[in-house]
Amino acid sequence: MQIVLSWPVRLFIVVVLAFSIFVDGAGYVYRIANHYPLTGNVPGLPPNFGGWQLYVHKGLDLAGGTHIDYRLINFPPSQSRADVQKKTIDVINKRVNSLGVSEPEIRGAGSNYDRITVDLAGVTADQAQKTIGAVSKLVYTKWVKDAAVTGGPVPGYRPAFVGLTGDDIQNATATIDQSGVGWVVNISFTSRGAGIFADLTRANVAACPGAGTDCPERHLTIWLDLTQKDIDSWADPAYASKVYSPYDTACLANQTPDTVCGKKLTDPTTLTEIAGGQAVISGGFTQASAQDLATGINAGSLPVDLQVLDVIQVGSTLGAESVKLSLAAGLLGLSIVVLFMILYYRVPGLLASLALLFYAAAVLALFKVIPVTVTLAGITGFILSVGMAVDANVLIFERFKEEVRAGRTIPAAVDAAVRRAWPAIRDSNSATFITCLILGFIGPPQVKGFALTLGLGVVISLISSIVVTHNLLAIVMTGSGFRRPALMGVDRVRNV
Amino acid sequence: MSDIAQGKQSADITSDASPAVSPQREPRVRRLNIIGRRNLFFAISLLIIIPGMYSMVTRGFLLGIDFAGGTEFTLNFSNQPSVAQVEQAVAAETIHGQSIDGSVIQTGNGDFLIRARPMLPQEQKVVEDDLQNKLGPMVVRQVLEVGPTIAGETIQFALLAVVLASVAILFLLAIRFHNLPGGWRAGFQFGGSALAALLHDVFLLTGIFSIMGKVLNWRIGEIDSFFVVAVLTVVGFSVHDTIVVFDRIRENLRVSQRLSFEQVVNLSIMQTAARSIITSFTVVLVLVAILIAGGSTQKGLALALLIGIVSGTYSSIFNAAPLLVVWRRLQPLR
Repeated sequence: MQIVLSWPVRLFIVVVLAFSIFVDGAGYVYRIANHYPLTGNVPGLPPNFGGWQLYVHKGLDLAGGTHIDYRLINFPPSQSRADVQKKTIDVINKRVNSLGVSEPEIRGAGSNYDRITVDLAGVTADQAQKTIGAVSKLVYTKWVKDAAVTGGPVPGYRPAFVGLTGDDIQNATATIDQSGVGWVVNISFTSRGAGIFADLTRANVAACPGAGTDCPERHLTIWLDLTQKDIDSWADPAYASKVYSPYDTACLANQTPDTVCGKKLTDPTTLTEIAGGQAVISGGFTQASAQDLATGINAGSLPVDLQVLDVIQVGSTLGAESVKLSLAAGLLGLSIVVLFMILYYRVPGLLASLALLFYAAAVLALFKVIPVTVTLAGITGFILSVGMAVDANVLIFERFKEEVRAGRTIPAAVDAAVRRAWPAIRDSNSATFITCLILGFIGPPQVKGFALTLGLGVVISLISSIVVTHNLLAIVMTGSGFRRPALMGVDRVRNV
Repeated sequence: MSDIAQGKQSADITSDASPAVSPQREPRVRRLNIIGRRNLFFAISLLIIIPGMYSMVTRGFLLGIDFAGGTEFTLNFSNQPSVAQVEQAVAAETIHGQSIDGSVIQTGNGDFLIRARPMLPQEQKVVEDDLQNKLGPMVVRQVLEVGPTIAGETIQFALLAVVLASVAILFLLAIRFHNLPGGWRAGFQFGGSALAALLHDVFLLTGIFSIMGKVLNWRIGEIDSFFVVAVLTVVGFSVHDTIVVFDRIRENLRVSQRLSFEQVVNLSIMQTAARSIITSFTVVLVLVAILIAGGSTQKGLALALLIGIVSGTYSSIFNAAPLLVVWRRLQPLR
């Protein structure tokens, strides 16, 4: 244990302390350096030190916002699930960007790549769901003969997928049409899309040749969100007519497995073969609806369907109240512990309290640097770890009293107490640390936050109690005035 | 390194006036015979655990939203309607012609908690707008929506975590204590006793929550994922206290060859009880602070931790070490 008292260790403590204070007070350092007032809003916060943004990352339950867990269903069979999940995350990211959320968190999860967790600060669940789950899965179909279809919008025919979807579109823009009244969406295909599109239009024209002639095979229909289930149900005339009606955004956004919505975007007759990969979607758009569609297409379509598993929506007032209450509870807890330690253990108690402040400063700095997203459960974990930080000190001090009773001098008793309390401190903290590891690995997100803060707390508290308290004790012991039993909280001391 | 250090300490202690060989130096509490009255202490534990277990088996738990599944709105109306008014408005709510099966609770700070069946975010919005039309301006403070998948997973996780933590701790102790006389058998006696004390705390805590939630119908007795956090933390803390006692037993076994195993255990309990009680006391102070000043979500967590930590301290002093003595009697080392 002598190494604990060596100068490199002391230097390390001082460096850690200085760094922690700098990080904790980063906002104030920035204000002073730039001659800003110490309170109120100033530009440039949180400060950026060489690429480091130092501030406390608040979880949704503190900042307010929405958390949604999605399950991905209907994976395309030919692609790797990991890629599909990654692509879905990219698409969600693009869509969420339109909301202007600061630091949206979109993470993949699930043992089989079938989960995505979305955390959006300052957004209601309704907004989030509308944006993320927005339907803009653009699909093209041709029409094929089907004797089973006897009624509906196009008797004798049903739509068939042609392998051309919104994913084959490079870019979409909304412009005013040639008449200068309506709006259209101009799309340019990727090279793959352009090829398929050219082949389709050529086949269309060949189906019933001659200018001005029309037959169902000559139509290339564009749908939003048309599914195989819709096509399979085409023989039901009411169903088919409903799906063939103009797309209904409100219906699509709120659809459940049982609802039937209009999904047709446009159903033009192909006049000539279109090569070159450029096409125009017209369909009585207004400026707003044309722009929405263009944005939707550009953001890409989701390769899978999303099923909502759970939603947590926290209002901003609740979050702000929680922060206040937690801070109050933390400060109250810390002060009570400090008061108790000083009254019960006197000078050692005071030193332990100083070590506790070092501990609190270091943990807060770590939260900012790592960064740890601080949640309510996380704060509770932190407050709790203050209690554990005290434990190692209590073990040492109780042992110290015993050693003094057994007849040691105070400096010798300090040394023996630290040495003998160590195995118990080490083993008991490893047990808690193992529990934290288990929670951290298998827990749901809110539990992980707790495990992380408690686990960090255990490690730092070990350093603070063993290294910092011991060093402070050793330094104080050099002044003989402090060796008085009353100050050390012991009854009697054998004088040497 | 630790072995050398311990070798040195035993030399120190035997050459010094060690506590074990100079009883006149020991405070009067040392005379308390905990091991001798172990059956009394076991009985006290069972007195609390058995009703709790009975309640768990027959009544189950009051499930929070993340275990039960469904939707929970936390709303604050500026017109301060009565509970009856809110209940009436909620009862009239339908989605696609079906009732939302809502129940209404008013919390301490005037918020209304409305529990309903699971619904999509769009449907939640409809319900919110509708309630606002009926009851006047309101603030949506929180909406929790948990589907059956997540609810099932959280329960699975809870069980898995307790089992994993228990096994990990059993082996950690077995490894740390197997270098005593008796080898691995002794190691597992220590580990097993600590595990028993730990399960004591888990059952006591869950039992009390079952009674609070289902027998007394207190909302604070609700089981949610924070409760799982509490149980697991209690597991960690309980073992904390137990290890401190066991560690002292290990140390005393090395230095006090003249004492019987029971005497060594009793002495070790006495030597560490002050520390266990003081540490728990400081943690209890912190938890009471959270209970008084914390937000409503933290209160359930704080109460669970409070019960668990008091139980953990009790079990480490009055159950774990006495159990070790009983085990040693049933299965002597040789």
